[in-house]
Amino acid sequence: MVIQESMGLMEKLRILADGAKYDVACTSSGIDRSGSTDGIGNSIAAGICHSFSADGRCISLLKILYTNECVYDCKYCVNRASNDVVRTSFTPEEVCSLTMEFYRRNYIEGLFLSSGVKGSPDRTMEELCRTVQLLRTKHHFHGYIHLKAIPGASPDLIRQAGYLADRMSVNLELPTAEGLRRLAPHKSRQTILRPMRQIQIQRDASKEELVLFKHAPRFVPAGQSTQMIIGASGENDYQILSVAESLYQKYSLKRVFYSAFVAVNKDKALPSVYTKPPLLREHRLYQADWLLRFYGFKASELLSESRPDFDLQLDPKCNWAIRHLEYFPVEINTAGYYQLLRVPGIGDRSARRIVGARKTHSLDFTDLGKIGVVLKRALYFITCNGRMMYRTRLEEDYIIRNMTDARRADQLLGSSCRQLSFFDKGEDGIERRYAL
Amino acid sequence: MNQEKTVFICEDSAEGIFTAVYDGWLEAKKGQIQIRICEPENMELFTRFQYVKSDSEKAGRVMRTVLMKLGTIAYQDLWYAAAASDPDRGTAVFYTIYKSYNHGKWDPGIMEAVADAHVGMVSRLRTRVWRELHHYYGFLRFREIGGQVLFSEIEPESDILEMLGEHFKDRFQGENWMIYDKRRKKAILHPRQSSCTVIRDVQPKMTDQSLGQPEIYEDLWRAFCGAIAIPERKNLALQQQLLPLKYRRNMVEFT
Repeated sequence: MVIQESMGLMEKLRILADGAKYDVACTSSGIDRSGSTDGIGNSIAAGICHSFSADGRCISLLKILYTNECVYDCKYCVNRASNDVVRTSFTPEEVCSLTMEFYRRNYIEGLFLSSGVKGSPDRTMEELCRTVQLLRTKHHFHGYIHLKAIPGASPDLIRQAGYLADRMSVNLELPTAEGLRRLAPHKSRQTILRPMRQIQIQRDASKEELVLFKHAPRFVPAGQSTQMIIGASGENDYQILSVAESLYQKYSLKRVFYSAFVAVNKDKALPSVYTKPPLLREHRLYQADWLLRFYGFKASELLSESRPDFDLQLDPKCNWAIRHLEYFPVEINTAGYYQLLRVPGIGDRSARRIVGARKTHSLDFTDLGKIGVVLKRALYFITCNGRMMYRTRLEEDYIIRNMTDARRADQLLGSSCRQLSFFDKGEDGIERRYAL
Repeated sequence: MNQEKTVFICEDSAEGIFTAVYDGWLEAKKGQIQIRICEPENMELFTRFQYVKSDSEKAGRVMRTVLMKLGTIAYQDLWYAAAASDPDRGTAVFYTIYKSYNHGKWDPGIMEAVADAHVGMVSRLRTRVWRELHHYYGFLRFREIGGQVLFSEIEPESDILEMLGEHFKDRFQGENWMIYDKRRKKAILHPRQSSCTVIRDVQPKMTDQSLGQPEIYEDLWRAFCGAIAIPERKNLALQQQLLPLKYRRNMVEFT
């Protein structure tokens, strides 16, 4: 292990930003805080994206490791103890000056501070707390701070950190305890879930105090989040989604992040180094995550033991709708909000607008187009005043064939019949532009 | 149905549009009206053209009425729509307010009737302006000049300079900063712990010297942006979709 003590700030930043890039939690959302005269910075609840990196992800925080020295040897991590990489560390003053100067120039919303485990969890957590304390009290920084909780750190340190940071998170790393044992033997479910539980309890206590005393200090006001690696340990989508659902319910998390496994290390417990990151699978999991949180779905409705993985051709909502045609067609002018939400092509904003607009007059398909409903998808599932847009059959195969590209539908259903054309081409000319 | 049409020509600003709304209110009972920000290329027959001089008193009365009678959401929507750059926004704003008033009663639910052409346009313009504003909250970059002033240059399509000023005034109360709108030749200045001033008709006299040396923190930021991307997930098309090229001219990490 090579440890460099005196290294230029530029080189340190490069190494420690590179080490932090696999932590995908980078939102700056969750809390509104006004600026003040005695310091610098405010916070916007919606979050602000300051830039986008070459992989298409949002850059809104200065996301760095405090140090990439680590005593743990997690198999998937580029900074594992047995890897021969250059190790270095920031000082608290360096982190503060980087944060303040970047913030003044409006490059970032705030700081995201993670770390390798240097010496022991307590020692590392102490240094992180000291850095954030310096930022808040000496530099009067009122912007956003996201601090990682080191699994295994003492409750006192977690408590201290919570009053300084806006959001905290502990990475679950792998969805199942068995996966964690295999790939990160130094961490255990217990050391990860204990700080999560502590933060949850402390947050609830702090909210009660705020009811009584308006200026009580706030504990982790923007909530907690966590992260799971997808595709490293062989779990299916149903297991992953069930874990996410129970985390939301039992630990009141704000977000669960899914990180497609990137093969940086060669290890017999891991998939081969030539595996490409499962980006489409990650995308489907995020879509399902949104369905759980905002659309009133349950994990058991989207997947099951017999069908444990997401369809790569259709998004989870369309898939659910096609397999449950008994709930359709939905009448736009009389259906309730949650019923409208279940229609593919109608999202939260469209559903609210429909409910608002139909107070004045009944709606037809042209109105729906103006409201912003994706009629291309929704037309199979809705009626306006009793009539469907075109004569369609409420049949699974028919709808699938129309919704997906014809050639891919054959792969899905097995080729039955296909319309011959003079213009058949071999190449797939479709370019998809979401996070694929 | 009276066929007479009146066209009001006002200044290309939110204040100009709301003054025209005030002037056109009585005319709308007599016939159709249109609010434009510039003279049409071809004049029309049977149409009366009237020039409107911006009056902050009249504009203020209109906006106060909207705020009190139609609520804060409608107020914000109409303000944003008036700040947009679409030349037909004046008429849309006028008829949205006009339609919400019926026999002495104001209907705050007017903004929900998105199926109507004018309300729909106001809604679309509002979304466009809001998106650009939020983009600029993040993409605006300051540069320290002479160790004293943070300077930023932007080229927005909509007139969002004052709105940006509100945001940064709250965030950087203790800093001297200024933002220059290159397209409209307007600038907003904020001295430390003080209130903002807007200057119009700015004649920029910027030399390479006055902009200062390229800074260490700009280089650090470029290094950070380069290091933070995961090469296996490289997707420049997605990056361009989320961060359009038009913003990149004034962003440090892309120049």
